[in-house]
Amino acid sequence: MPTQENNDERIALLQGTLDILILKTLILGPCHGQGVARSIQRQSEEVLFVDHGSLYLALQRLEDKKLIQAKWGTSENNRKARFYSLTAKGRAELLEKTSQWKRLTRAMDLILDPAADLQGEEA
Amino acid sequence: MFKRKRSAEDFAEEIKAHLELEADDLRGEGLSEEESQRRARVEFGSQVAAQESFHRRGRWQALDNLARDLRFSLRSLLKSPGFAFTAILTVALGVGANTAVFSVMNAVLLKSLPVADPQTLVYLRTSDQPRGTGTVDTNETMSYPVYDTLRKQTSAFSSLIAYVPLSGSKVAVRVGSQPEEAEGDMVSGAFFSGLGVNLPLGRGFTAEDEANHAPLSVISYNYWTRRFARSPGVLGQTLFVNGVPTTIIGVSAQGFEGLEPGGSTDFWIPLQNRRELNAWGNPLDDGKLYIENPKWWCLRLIARLAPGVSKTQAIAQLQAVFRSASRIGLGSPMQGEKPLTLSFTDAKNFPGYDQMYGNPLRILMAMVGLVLLIALANVAMLLAARNAARQREFSVRQALGAGRGELFRQLLTESLILVTAGGALAWAFAMMAARLLANWAQIESSLAPDRTVLLFTMGVLVVAAVLFGLAPMRVALAGRAELAIRTSAATSNTNAGKSRTGKIIVALQMAMCVVLLVGAGLLIRTLRNLENTPLGMRVDGLVVFGVNPDIPSLAAGRTFYRDLISKLRILPGVESVTVMEERLGSGWSDNSAMMVDGRLPDVPNGGDRTVRSNVAGPDFFTTLGIPVLEGRDFADSDTVNSPPVGIINEEFAKRFLAGQNPLGHHIGTDDGRYTMTVIGVVKDHKYRSIDETPIPMAWYMSAQIPMVGPMSVEMRVKGAPLAILPTAQKVVQQLDPNLPLIKPMTQRDQFNTTISSQLMFARLAEFFGLLAVVLVATGLYGTLSYRVNRRTAEIGVRMAMGAGRGQVVWMILRDSLTLTAIGIVAGIPLAMFVGRALMSSLYGVKPLDSVTYMLAVVGVTLVALLASAVPASRAASVDPLRALRTD
Repeated sequence: MPTQENNDERIALLQGTLDILILKTLILGPCHGQGVARSIQRQSEEVLFVDHGSLYLALQRLEDKKLIQAKWGTSENNRKARFYSLTAKGRAELLEKTSQWKRLTRAMDLILDPAADLQGEEA
Repeated sequence: MFKRKRSAEDFAEEIKAHLELEADDLRGEGLSEEESQRRARVEFGSQVAAQESFHRRGRWQALDNLARDLRFSLRSLLKSPGFAFTAILTVALGVGANTAVFSVMNAVLLKSLPVADPQTLVYLRTSDQPRGTGTVDTNETMSYPVYDTLRKQTSAFSSLIAYVPLSGSKVAVRVGSQPEEAEGDMVSGAFFSGLGVNLPLGRGFTAEDEANHAPLSVISYNYWTRRFARSPGVLGQTLFVNGVPTTIIGVSAQGFEGLEPGGSTDFWIPLQNRRELNAWGNPLDDGKLYIENPKWWCLRLIARLAPGVSKTQAIAQLQAVFRSASRIGLGSPMQGEKPLTLSFTDAKNFPGYDQMYGNPLRILMAMVGLVLLIALANVAMLLAARNAARQREFSVRQALGAGRGELFRQLLTESLILVTAGGALAWAFAMMAARLLANWAQIESSLAPDRTVLLFTMGVLVVAAVLFGLAPMRVALAGRAELAIRTSAATSNTNAGKSRTGKIIVALQMAMCVVLLVGAGLLIRTLRNLENTPLGMRVDGLVVFGVNPDIPSLAAGRTFYRDLISKLRILPGVESVTVMEERLGSGWSDNSAMMVDGRLPDVPNGGDRTVRSNVAGPDFFTTLGIPVLEGRDFADSDTVNSPPVGIINEEFAKRFLAGQNPLGHHIGTDDGRYTMTVIGVVKDHKYRSIDETPIPMAWYMSAQIPMVGPMSVEMRVKGAPLAILPTAQKVVQQLDPNLPLIKPMTQRDQFNTTISSQLMFARLAEFFGLLAVVLVATGLYGTLSYRVNRRTAEIGVRMAMGAGRGQVVWMILRDSLTLTAIGIVAGIPLAMFVGRALMSSLYGVKPLDSVTYMLAVVGVTLVALLASAVPASRAASVDPLRALRTD
């Protein structure tokens, strides 16, 4: 298991993993930044904490790499927001990164907990 | 990626939207309005920071990458400081030496005269002078009537310019009350306008200024800087030249230092017609100034060809005019005298430098070129070795997804850091070296590196950077990702092809080292020979300086020098004092035929009749420490009222008075107007320069001849010779407050000026030879220790199989000795070739001097052994078990 912060159940994201999480979130459909952050926090059962500064940097980075695209739209509660959606390239990237990640976690598990039967530690 | 896709406002908008959405959600969870907004903001963290990083990210991504590369490269270089230090220093020395020599070469040989259209300028040359005339330079100087006639021929030239120095060295000038020395020329009115020299301040001369002999002066930019701190108030000030007041009316363009070969002119005045300002500072000849004297060919001429006129056409137009002008005032030619021929030489470069420094500089350039090759090869090999050792690092990084582009970028960054640091150091080094060079060579014009030099250096550095970046690339990329896992010390390090390249490079370096050592050896032996050449006098303890007093009459001149000598003699510490017209060791001499017993002497087989003559004061030979073989030295008692006396040297007696007692014979000028009795014969000694052979010489007694001009004063003192100068200066100023001491120096230094080019040459060769040795040693050491490292496992195996330590050491030594042998075999023919090229610069040593070759070979071998000693002993101390277990 990765290290935990002392009294906080929340874990700072490992470097490089945020990108996958964003892509994964966006596969469900276009979403704005705040929605992405909420979604990650909620889906990880509030274990993962998304630093909003990094989130927007990551969004920008992904946009630069043409993995996602963005346009301004209106949210369900009628607020103006910038909506991000996956591009075809982004989809492909997500597939590849996901399979890489699975191999890595499997390898880690084999080492850290060889006795236990694969307790899929999904991030 | 400097382009930004989004504006900062757009981003700020997005953050604002985020906060609102978050607050909405929180409100939905039942929080109060205020609390929701606060929580939203807290959750987000610093908006400013987010905006800032957004801002930076868009704009600085490329720079960010560069910064990261730089940081990474610096870190990896710092991890091997020895390597970084060696590489940077090697680049600095190699490139610095080249920059220094190139900047001298640029200043001396390549730079054009800083004038308009230098291509259309030509120097006028004559094949000879008419018989019976005096000259300064057989082919380069002409009489005033020739100049005056030629300038009236307006079709060939758009302007014709005459110029002549006011002295062979420097003249007395004064701005305030303190007398100083400076170099000055008299020039025709068209000097600045005809040459097309700009005057940043004031104006140049005009034809009227020349016609009126106007008391005006223009000073050089250098002199303006040095003496007047570039004050614009200099215009209108009075510059006294030999006591004659002139008004400063202009400052010449920066970089223009006149047309005197090898010199730097401080000021110019229009051609004058007064006694104090005769050409070359000479006393009047027969009462005549240079302008009135067709027998004194003393002016240098330079012309600008008229538009559309070629050199051939101009010569065709002028030849006949020149021939008739050359006879003005001389009557008809003597029997068998050939008519003179006018010719031109290009004037686009600085005059005289090519003869003086051309060959030495070209050879030096070749030498430093070799040094640079050795240096670059060294660094490339070092880098290759280092990167080969990092092969696994590269493989791992490639396996982790680093692209070849990224690896290449990083290697290039590393080599850029090395080259930049080395280049900066090289530039500083070159600045110092160029100044030293100028000192040694006594080049007075500015050697400051200019844009051409900078471009040259940049060019070399760029080549180096690309070479260093590319050379190791092959090695780095050779290992693909899988190699990382498979590689082990025992299996991966046998790359036969690459080590062969390394061996060839080392052998070539050895060969170049041999060449440089032989060259340096020959030049150093030349210098030793020159320095150890007996001068034929006791030169230590002698100090010499010039004086150029205003001499209104012959009697006044004689009184001046008599007073000067007697006042200097009584100074404490002074042993003896004398004067002379031509300073010993200045390179000047007065050559002519002399009458012996009323007629020109017969010389068998058409031999040379030339006698070198000088005018000397009392105690001349005693002061200089030249042995008087027969008769006596000049004395105070030889005056204008006593019979004229002269002294000759052995060579004179041998050639013109063979088999007779020379004392009592009568000798004199070739026109028969002055005759003197020989009262002494002195031992032959060096006169004009160190590398001359004896020539017949005769001395006139200064107090007796009907001519008095500027003289050099020679003093023999106890203790440090130069310490007497301030006191001597006071004595001189008591006699005439206008007089500076001109070019004061020890007599030893004066003689050394005649070997300054050899001196510079030898010192540099010595330095470059040494540099080559050090570089070759580090290169060999680096290559060998790298190879030993890579062969650790192999050596371990060998030792485990029973190889003794001696055998291992021999294995390493054999390697380097083989390379050395190949290098020597290849280097010797090359060195012989270089020796032949150096021939003209050698003195007392043959180009095939066996001692020099032996020393070079021994030197290279020693270097090879020394450089191999450490790696060999390291190999011998390899612990077989450890070596096999490694990895």
